[in-house]
Amino acid sequence: MNTVAMTSPWRSALARPAVWISLAAVLGALAFGLLLVALMGVPVADAVEAFAEGAWGSPYAVAASLNRSLAFALVGLGFVLAQRANLTNVGGEGQIAVGGIVATAVALYGGAKDLPAGLSFVLPALAAALAGGLWGAIAGVLKAKVGTNEVISTLMLSFIAVWMVYGSVQSEQLLRQPVSNATTLPESLEIPDPTKIPLLTGDFSMPLHWGLPVGIVLAIVVALVLNHTVLGLRLRAVGLNPLAARRAGMPMVSSVVGVLFAAGALGGLAGAFMLQGEQYSLKTGFSSGYGFDGLVVGLLARGSVTGVIAGSLLFGFLRSGGINMEMSANVPTALVVVIQGLIIVTLAGAAHRLDKKETPR
Amino acid sequence: MSHDVLEPARSAPMAPAGAAAPPLLRLAGMGKRFGALQALADVSLELAPGEVHCLLGENGAGKSTLCNLIFGVYAPDGGEMALDGRAYRPAGPADALASRVAMVHQHFSLVPDLSVVDNLLLGQQTRGVLRRRDCADRIADLSARYGLQLSPHARIQDLSIGERQRVEIVKCLMREPRLLVLDEPTAVLLPAEIAALLDVCERVAATGCGILLVTHKLAEIKRVARRATVLRGGRIAARSDHPEQDLDDLVRAMIQRDTSPLRPRERTETPPPAGPSRKPEPALMVDGLTVRDPDGVVRLDRFTLLVEPGEIVAVAGVEGNGQSELGAVLSGLLPATEGRWFASGKELTTAAPRALTAAGVGIVPEDRHAVGCITGMSVAENLFLDRLGRYRRFGLLDRAAMRRDALALMQRFDVRAASPDVTFGGLSGGNQQKAVLARELTLDGLSFLLAAQPTRGLDVGAVEAVYGHIRAACDRGVGVLLISSELDELLAVADRVVVLYRGRVMGQCPADAGHRDRIGAWMAGHTE
Amino acid sequence: MTEEMAAVFVGSTLRLAAPLLLSATGELVSERAGVLNMSVEGMMLTGAFAGAVGSWATGSPGLGLLIGLAAVMPVALLQAWLSITLRANQIVTGIGINILALGATTLAYREIFGGRSRETIPGLEKWAPPFLGDIPVFGEAVFRQAWLLYVAVVVILAAAWVMRYTALGLAIHSAGVAPRALDKAGLSVNAVRYGAVLFCGFTSALAGCFLSIGDIHTFTEGMTSGAGYLAIAAVIFGNWKFGRTAGACLLFGAATALQFQLPAMGIEVPGALLIMLPYLLALLAVGGLVGRQTSPAALTQAYVR
Repeated sequence: MNTVAMTSPWRSALARPAVWISLAAVLGALAFGLLLVALMGVPVADAVEAFAEGAWGSPYAVAASLNRSLAFALVGLGFVLAQRANLTNVGGEGQIAVGGIVATAVALYGGAKDLPAGLSFVLPALAAALAGGLWGAIAGVLKAKVGTNEVISTLMLSFIAVWMVYGSVQSEQLLRQPVSNATTLPESLEIPDPTKIPLLTGDFSMPLHWGLPVGIVLAIVVALVLNHTVLGLRLRAVGLNPLAARRAGMPMVSSVVGVLFAAGALGGLAGAFMLQGEQYSLKTGFSSGYGFDGLVVGLLARGSVTGVIAGSLLFGFLRSGGINMEMSANVPTALVVVIQGLIIVTLAGAAHRLDKKETPR
Repeated sequence: MSHDVLEPARSAPMAPAGAAAPPLLRLAGMGKRFGALQALADVSLELAPGEVHCLLGENGAGKSTLCNLIFGVYAPDGGEMALDGRAYRPAGPADALASRVAMVHQHFSLVPDLSVVDNLLLGQQTRGVLRRRDCADRIADLSARYGLQLSPHARIQDLSIGERQRVEIVKCLMREPRLLVLDEPTAVLLPAEIAALLDVCERVAATGCGILLVTHKLAEIKRVARRATVLRGGRIAARSDHPEQDLDDLVRAMIQRDTSPLRPRERTETPPPAGPSRKPEPALMVDGLTVRDPDGVVRLDRFTLLVEPGEIVAVAGVEGNGQSELGAVLSGLLPATEGRWFASGKELTTAAPRALTAAGVGIVPEDRHAVGCITGMSVAENLFLDRLGRYRRFGLLDRAAMRRDALALMQRFDVRAASPDVTFGGLSGGNQQKAVLARELTLDGLSFLLAAQPTRGLDVGAVEAVYGHIRAACDRGVGVLLISSELDELLAVADRVVVLYRGRVMGQCPADAGHRDRIGAWMAGHTE
Repeated sequence: MTEEMAAVFVGSTLRLAAPLLLSATGELVSERAGVLNMSVEGMMLTGAFAGAVGSWATGSPGLGLLIGLAAVMPVALLQAWLSITLRANQIVTGIGINILALGATTLAYREIFGGRSRETIPGLEKWAPPFLGDIPVFGEAVFRQAWLLYVAVVVILAAAWVMRYTALGLAIHSAGVAPRALDKAGLSVNAVRYGAVLFCGFTSALAGCFLSIGDIHTFTEGMTSGAGYLAIAAVIFGNWKFGRTAGACLLFGAATALQFQLPAMGIEVPGALLIMLPYLLALLAVGGLVGRQTSPAALTQAYVR
């Protein structure tokens, strides 16, 4: 019973009823969405076409969707990792924000552009991961030392960080671009070219960057850690029974702080990828929605890395499709939000039927 | 299982012969199944008004299940219940309470941060403004009538266990029940408190209320029981209309053995000396260990003890007299307020659990589910919980090696499970304890073993196995500190007995049956 | 700061704190009963939208208020059903409902009002209590508020009184601290929790309506912008007690009022700092830096017999 083969997860995944129920929930929500489209008087065919166009209709669209999925997946991976130790990290949005701020600062003013090839874009990304990690570790320390509920602490930290983004691009002392006239937007300067993550194809019509393979590697690493390492077992022990884990000699404080650091670092890295791989400058609302979507992906994955990947792909393409539906077919993106909400609520309600064992807090 | 019915259960209750008064409670053919476990089968019982009826049985015999059926927590799978001649089928505790059936559970259901009055009002009053003054008056009244001392506005979390039990009893008495079920009420009480409780029982019964007293302790039966019923394995094993006389038969029916299962230890064996004619370090040396809890109450008072290699020292006493704190300190989970302790010469007073393991200290904890094992993980993972680092190969977990070693260990210690990969929580209590023992006894360089309540909840076979392994470890030179409230087991297994009362050592003596009375006196707090 | 400015500041504080006071009270009761209701944000938004549409459609803000209430109760029921009966993860359901509400209200708003954003709708009238309103300088600025604010005061006082002095309050407290005790006492833990969540829905609806028809007399997409989470923060900062929670709401309202007050006084403080102040305070509270926290022991744990 110690097979490590990569193909078996797929087979065993399809055998679980959880997968079919999740599929049913998604399809049901999508169908409901189409119904709403019809009720709004928009020709369903037009809406679907616009959706498909935006989601995967062109290399650009595919790339945009995958970039979105990448961000969701990283946050989701972090969530699942922390969940193994029975810690719920809802601060993904804030960790992305912190990562974005630090990546911007290092890229613009940290001398990164002068570094030799490779380091110029790696350094801001690493700094962003570190910043996100520290942001998560704050909650970890509070939990380990004071017993603070990490749901609350990561949530509060998340809001603080989001407003820190707002604050940093409002002030020229911080990250705002020099104000030349009344119409200068509150955002940072565009980061210099050497600090942008190079594209896989080198072609801007399909802007997939090197962050994507890194993300895939990280997903594999997280899956290995969770299921095939002593560390994974220890996290599980700490999560299931901290007292027994302590008695068995497992390091409690470093486990809690460490795993929340790791989750935060993944979020910070997501922020770096978003900034250095796509947006190239820091704006208000930088992390808007990404953190929560990633969190939801994590929650719905119920502990499995495969689930994170599936969920992040779903939501990534859903978002992209939605944006194009608004532009081409006059269907507000809010429809996609409704579909997302329905999926979440349905799966949450069905969850306890899917899990035989409960994980009480 | 055979029925050893000593007296037919159809004998008349206290009513005069010829009276047709129906029994207060009549159970006929009660059955209850939980999944694969048949907790109760064909249980019949009768209880008259004003009668104190003792329900006896070892742990796991089905006593609590029967009480829960009577109180409506579960619905029976078969059989009938009748109260005062009328069919009684409670759909839940609310129905039971409405039928004036009350129950004092083993585990109290009190809200810790509320006062006694508020706890009593909970459920008593379901609407309107709380009538706290009236409730306090009623408490005073009941206190006087039944001799239950309580201060109405004290918070539950500030009360002792005995006082909290009084709150639970008053809660029941306020409903003027006609049937009161007490589930193992004396398990956590001191001898003096037990006497007080039995007084209360008598007074309550005198008012015509029937009492079903569940216990596995026999002294209580002698004093108050009018009739007794013995459960074993979910079935009636014996009944008696004069329990005082039939005590031996009742005990036999409870445990299905004629004599104590444990042969007293032959004390002729001496452990081999550790080095060339050098006296070995004591396995355990405790010096003035004191534990003060956050409220300032002293739980362990200047505890001093020596355990030599190969020796079994037992700490006896009613639960709640400092044994838990002693166990927690020696497990590295609770820091001592004062004092020091050493194992094999190494000071471990401030050591973390990992250091304890490295120093050769093995621990079988009091509450294995809380501290000793992780029920959600597999048997193999639990067996090697403290040495997982050994199973690393190229950075990854070597599950094959873990499985192999687990099977070997399971064989050696007779841990019965379908495979090492099944969930630990699925094992029976006995097998779980054997697994924990297996892990602790195979510690590298084990020199001292702490076993706290190691046979709690185990059946006879498992008890023998556990002590067999402990003795084997002793023969190898391990020093053992055995904390237990089962006096018979202690006397059979240990070399020396130390008695704790209110955190202090009351006395020490060799573990001979002849010292039983002395030990009992110490347990009750009497100095010589 | 001149007297007029001080008066305006206090009045703004009260106005900005009002929706928080309402939703935090409901959330407090819900959490005391053991249900962490993260969908306050969504319930407030639904209330704001339904109240606005109702007021616009009927021309009466009072009716709008009732419609707002009617629209939120099903949402609260959904949250209760998911969290209590289905025993779903309370965080997931809360966030899910928030997302659903955001999408649904935005969609509905676009459909109904389309391009006509910022259309003003009939709003709740203002009222001032008889003597207080006549105080020179302060009276008008501080006490003339939408009447819903005074309703909020009554609601809070009533809720606090019920929790302390009635059997219902005892049951709610027990449901959150020791649900097993409540069960053994013969009462239904789930029924009590359902009631608490529905009460939270009630107050959140009122809070949302205050935002749309009480304050700015219009509806904008996503107008609650985190107020629901602030309510949760206030409950935490208030250590699950009514007085302290109300104090926290006023504090948070003051911080928001300062955002406009300080620039008017010529003091340059980054707006971001003031906006994040409530969350920072809540973080300090949970970090144990403002005294020991005693959250209800059974919070977020679904009750199983």
